[in-house]
Amino acid sequence: MTRQQRRRDIRTAYLLLAPAVLLMLTVLAYPLCWEVWTSLTSLSPLQEGATVFVGLENYRHLLQDPDFWTAASVTVVYAVVTSVAKLALGLGFALLLARPFRGRTLAFLAIFLPWVYPAGVSVIGWFWTLNPPIATSYAVFMGTLKYRVDGIFGGGAWAFLSVTLFNIWRGSSFIGVLLLAGINAIPAELFEYALLDSRSPWQRFRAVTLPLLKPFLALGVFLSLTSAFADLANVWMLTAGRIVFPVIGTQAYWLAIHTGRFGEASALSLTLVPLLLAALLLLFRLFDPPEREAA
Amino acid sequence: MNPKPWWAKLGHRSLVLLVTVYCLFPIYFMLVQSLKTPEEDVFGNPLIVVNPTLENFEELFERKSEVRGFVGDALRRSYPFLDWLANTLIVFTGSVVVTLAASVAAAYALGRLRPPGFRWWRYGIFATYVIPQTILFIPLYHVVNALRLDDNLLALLLIYPTLALPFCVWMLSAYFQHLPREIEEAALIEGANRATAFFRIILPMSRPVLVAAGIFALGTIASDFMIASLFLLTQQNQTVTAGLGTFDVALDELAAVAGVNLLAIPVVAISACFARGYVRGLTAAMVEGA
Repeated sequence: MTRQQRRRDIRTAYLLLAPAVLLMLTVLAYPLCWEVWTSLTSLSPLQEGATVFVGLENYRHLLQDPDFWTAASVTVVYAVVTSVAKLALGLGFALLLARPFRGRTLAFLAIFLPWVYPAGVSVIGWFWTLNPPIATSYAVFMGTLKYRVDGIFGGGAWAFLSVTLFNIWRGSSFIGVLLLAGINAIPAELFEYALLDSRSPWQRFRAVTLPLLKPFLALGVFLSLTSAFADLANVWMLTAGRIVFPVIGTQAYWLAIHTGRFGEASALSLTLVPLLLAALLLLFRLFDPPEREAA
Repeated sequence: MNPKPWWAKLGHRSLVLLVTVYCLFPIYFMLVQSLKTPEEDVFGNPLIVVNPTLENFEELFERKSEVRGFVGDALRRSYPFLDWLANTLIVFTGSVVVTLAASVAAAYALGRLRPPGFRWWRYGIFATYVIPQTILFIPLYHVVNALRLDDNLLALLLIYPTLALPFCVWMLSAYFQHLPREIEEAALIEGANRATAFFRIILPMSRPVLVAAGIFALGTIASDFMIASLFLLTQQNQTVTAGLGTFDVALDELAAVAGVNLLAIPVVAISACFARGYVRGLTAAMVEGA
């Protein structure tokens, strides 16, 4: 390829990248900068004087706040519990669907459905199922269940449970299908070699399936973690906006909207970014191992 | 292979049954509620419907006046559900098309043309998933206002694609990158330019991956609740999601659940049609890509 051609290709490449990059920049660049800057100031629509640059004061304040630690730990527990459960269930689904059997198409559709069913509205359905209006026939049953659960595990347990269940229900469907795609990608010969090599299905699973699924697993975990950490909408809907379930998302929302402390709210929502970044770096390593970059 | 013993078959069957029930029960439950008359909702068995009725669905389409009646002191309003459906259709199709167009273009650039640092562009675009959306809507509101898109469907057309775009670019560029070089080169030698080669050869080849990206985009967009509720304020401008969020829990439970199902039907139908393609596309993207 001549140099001129190459130069033209590069120009085309930037041209083609432009729409995607512009879109991302419009929607994310300014808001992100605003959020980072605000987290360093005392910005609030309710304040009397001018906005002051306060440095890391907001972060320091958060670290001393026991509520922050509750919210942070609940968020981490929520993210870890849902991710592990989704991964386990999803892997189970994928393995179940990997071999042909009668009615596999139907089973596959059933597993695909929870993710496909629009979550923006199914969360509304879930909310009213789990917290039925007082008149419905199962209101008493659900109410009793709620107080049982809350009684055993403490207030807010029912809310935690309902949010977790919804997240797992929907997420395991997505990860199941993703991992099925991963299993389909494994060449059949590998399974045949493995069959010759070892008799126990568990060993075959560990030697062949698991290593080859690693990139898919990593992708699933990462998407699951990011959605859990930023999960505001689902938590909000399923708890009807009451702060019985403190996660970073709802607490930041509360700080910003109800008390008007934009600075602290920004700081709060940025606190978990380092964790996510670490997860992302791990994912990139799993996807593009350095030794293969040369190829 | 030797035939499986009967207990293994039985175990397998019951496992499949269990999984199916687990996945479908919530959907079944919502469907049952939406078919109930108010009487049955109060006195009947929650798990079955004895006298199914479409009255809740019909109620959604009634558009007489604003105020539909009173229950105690509370107003019952009617909702412009047809407008909501139309808005949702516009927003969903529009966003999926924008997402696909932008991500195919970007992915082709990164996977085939490979400008300097293409790998970093890929990482960079994907890394935007790390940004917590939590209170991003406050500054996002400044952006939307500055563009004068407040209370406008275009605001969603701008924001929604960014939710699915990183994953789509990641997947598509991995796929394009690992297509053998010869595929295009043959056409280029024959005198076709890159655009022809792309539209005639590469695009038709990548149909499964495009389907996968499209279904992913649709699923992601349909799962949003916050953005729709925040940026669409006037009833006439809302999508089904935003609109249903404004229903009053105690008064309109059945109608709301009916609305949930009504939006779900087309989305589910489309996804079910492309379900196989979705899996095949994911596989193709990852095999060639990872």
